[in-house]
Amino acid sequence: MKKYSVINTHVHNVDGIAKVTGRAIYTFDVKLPGMLYGKILRSPHPHAKILDIDYGKALDLPGVIGVVTGKDTLGVKQGIWRRYQDLCDEQILPVDKVRYIGEPVAAVAAMTEEIAEQALDLIDVQYEVLPAVYEPLDAIKKEAPEIHEGFERNINVTRHIEWGDVEGAFDEAEYIREDWFKCGGQAHMCMETRAAVSSYTPDGKLTVYHSSQSPYYMRGLLAGVLGLKESSIRVISHYVGGGFGGKFELDGAIFCSAVLSMKLCRPVKIVFTREEDFIATKRRTPMSYYVRTGVKKDGTFCAREAKVFTNGGAYTGMGATALYLTGFFHSFPYRWKGYRYDGYRVYTNTLPSTSMRGFGAPQAMWCSEQQIEWIAADLGLDSIEMRRKNAHYSGYEVPDQASIASCGIDQCFDVVQKWIKEKGKLPENRAIGLSAAGFMSGGIFNWFDSPYSFSSAVVTINYDGTVELHVGAQDIGQGSNTTLAIICAEALGVKIEDIKVHSGDTDHCPADLGAWGSRQTLMAGNAVKMAAEDAKKQLLEVAYAQSGFNIVYDLDIKNRWVHALARPERGYDYAELVKKAIRGKDGQRIVGRGYYTPHRKGMISPAYSYMMQAVEVEIDKDTGKIKLIDSLTAHDCGQPINHLGLIGQLEGAFSMAAGYGYLEYMPYEDGKLMNPNLVDYKVMRATEMPEVPVAEIDTYEPEGPYGAKEAGEGLTNPTAAAIGNAIFHALGVQMKECPIKPEMIVNALNEKEAKEKEGKE
Amino acid sequence: MSEPVKCPVCGKKAKTGSAIDCARHMFGTGDKPHRAWVEAQGLSFIDLLLEQATTPGNRSYVVLAEIIEKTQERLPE
Repeated sequence: MKKYSVINTHVHNVDGIAKVTGRAIYTFDVKLPGMLYGKILRSPHPHAKILDIDYGKALDLPGVIGVVTGKDTLGVKQGIWRRYQDLCDEQILPVDKVRYIGEPVAAVAAMTEEIAEQALDLIDVQYEVLPAVYEPLDAIKKEAPEIHEGFERNINVTRHIEWGDVEGAFDEAEYIREDWFKCGGQAHMCMETRAAVSSYTPDGKLTVYHSSQSPYYMRGLLAGVLGLKESSIRVISHYVGGGFGGKFELDGAIFCSAVLSMKLCRPVKIVFTREEDFIATKRRTPMSYYVRTGVKKDGTFCAREAKVFTNGGAYTGMGATALYLTGFFHSFPYRWKGYRYDGYRVYTNTLPSTSMRGFGAPQAMWCSEQQIEWIAADLGLDSIEMRRKNAHYSGYEVPDQASIASCGIDQCFDVVQKWIKEKGKLPENRAIGLSAAGFMSGGIFNWFDSPYSFSSAVVTINYDGTVELHVGAQDIGQGSNTTLAIICAEALGVKIEDIKVHSGDTDHCPADLGAWGSRQTLMAGNAVKMAAEDAKKQLLEVAYAQSGFNIVYDLDIKNRWVHALARPERGYDYAELVKKAIRGKDGQRIVGRGYYTPHRKGMISPAYSYMMQAVEVEIDKDTGKIKLIDSLTAHDCGQPINHLGLIGQLEGAFSMAAGYGYLEYMPYEDGKLMNPNLVDYKVMRATEMPEVPVAEIDTYEPEGPYGAKEAGEGLTNPTAAAIGNAIFHALGVQMKECPIKPEMIVNALNEKEAKEKEGKE
Repeated sequence: MSEPVKCPVCGKKAKTGSAIDCARHMFGTGDKPHRAWVEAQGLSFIDLLLEQATTPGNRSYVVLAEIIEKTQERLPE
């Protein structure tokens, strides 16, 4: 008999039909009676005092209904790190000064979007332009301008991680290598740009439709900046067109639409243009890494030290977490006798940086996995075997940081080794690059200071046996509603089509921290499993009472069939049992409740996924152009739950990570992004995507529902380094800056040639 | 065995009880009272922090740890 009926079977997305037939209502689609359209005036200066804002002429324009500035707000400095007031540093409509180009200054509501746009030109803002600084290493100089009062040398946050005797471990090393790396930013590039429709009514209620990763966070943050009770705010995010870490903080769309709506008592819709999404949201954190690694000649890792400066941009956002996680995952997936990380996040007058899929780890792996490959080459060792020798294993403890209960990295190495062998000899200018990584399965961070469980779920069984599953978890396109429906169906013993998932509505769904930190499968999945088991227990109590079986017989429900485990052929329909149970409860529906809050699971995560990425790359030596030919993803995600969803997530992660590796540049000049459009900012297109076959490495994670853990975010981490390593093996050049531009390859080849010539002479 | 080192500002016991851990705690906390204490010892908090950031090794923590150790004798029980 199959172990599972629904888990890891081919289940189509529960919201697939609504999406492919265009019936899914995204925030972009919301229209309310009497709705106005909002536009935001943005700062043209990277650093300036706001002296005066005169919007009289804008108000005179026919069709303009209202204008708001920072003076219409409570002036609250907000941020998602609510436990640490110093890090709540952003007024979304600033009162006194602007700190980056694109920062909101005023917002207009008008009868049409076009009128609102015209009105922006009629607002007169007087600025006193201040000196600005754009790079962290310039911003820490004594003479650099002060961006936030009280933050000496513009240092926003520092993070330090250390274990073992680092100096002693370096003394044991027989080979030490040090390198400097640079990693660029990256735009979240959601299909649906930031968007919100806010509707404030005279009874003091604010309803907000928002493209969000965490409606619960939005409600809490809005309450704080608007001076409302959380219960007076309803946030609805039924369908969300992507998040990738960029949609769980307040943004200009939600804040400005809410402030305008409260002032005018009419619904106001703001949808960012693609350019606004580029210049006025947040981005992946650019980092400069110094890495020193000590190893023995047989490849045993001894010690590592990393010093990192991150370009924080104008505000904290989620950057403080990224600063910690980059240092933590820089050690992964290996064992170090001594490890030290010093991270410094520095304010600059650029677009703020924040969380993005991988949460600091892609930058960490770009540096770590390339340096490891170079060390193996320096010592003449097989890089996979060197990795294997030092890798984590089930039962390993990262000192003071994490317990690894399940780890399939060793099997990942096996699968990739076999794939390379089968490939045989490759044509000229073509090579395979490798990179390993590990990632969290549910972040244990409560900077938000939530008093609620991290995840909650309610299962309600109707008279006909169908199930209403209410979750606070947010589906942002990653398919969490489907995954949770699968878990619910499996736990309850019904079919997937029996489950109706309700999510993305703070008035009707239980609190949940939302879609970030690879939380949903493990944390929300556990909550759903608990709720379904609670409901099932109530049903089985009735079944036992009427069965007449010996009490030692175990009853179960599977595929809607109620039966004794010892005699599965003898049973009856689940719907009959539901009817009896509801009658027996005086007509009340069966309700099961579940929750998940991590306890004693270390500082970072209750579980960790592991993976290895292999990429076959071809490089044109004359132009430096990179072409991805083939790939293999070996991924340990515990027990797979949503098979199709898993494949989609891994393909998507590969695409985003490869884009970070060689396509997606964010060049700034004097604080201004030079390519804020999809013509000049290159993302992976279908024609550039190689085949992305996935080797699922099944392990069992005791903390996960049915043994499941993360899939989809972690694979953003190794891919850029794998591309760099392929270039190293194909051409013998070491790429230290990411994304890799063609001219960097050509320059590196020229340098290499010149050095070789010098050596000959 | 010597007594575990306590932070001269907030009294918090260092993770392993060592002076170097206490120095890490002071840098990590980095609030006004901790900065002021470091400055009062004739050191510049920000310069120590930046030295730790820009040079390999652990010199800044070691420097601060030595001073913390010296002050432990003067701390009340």
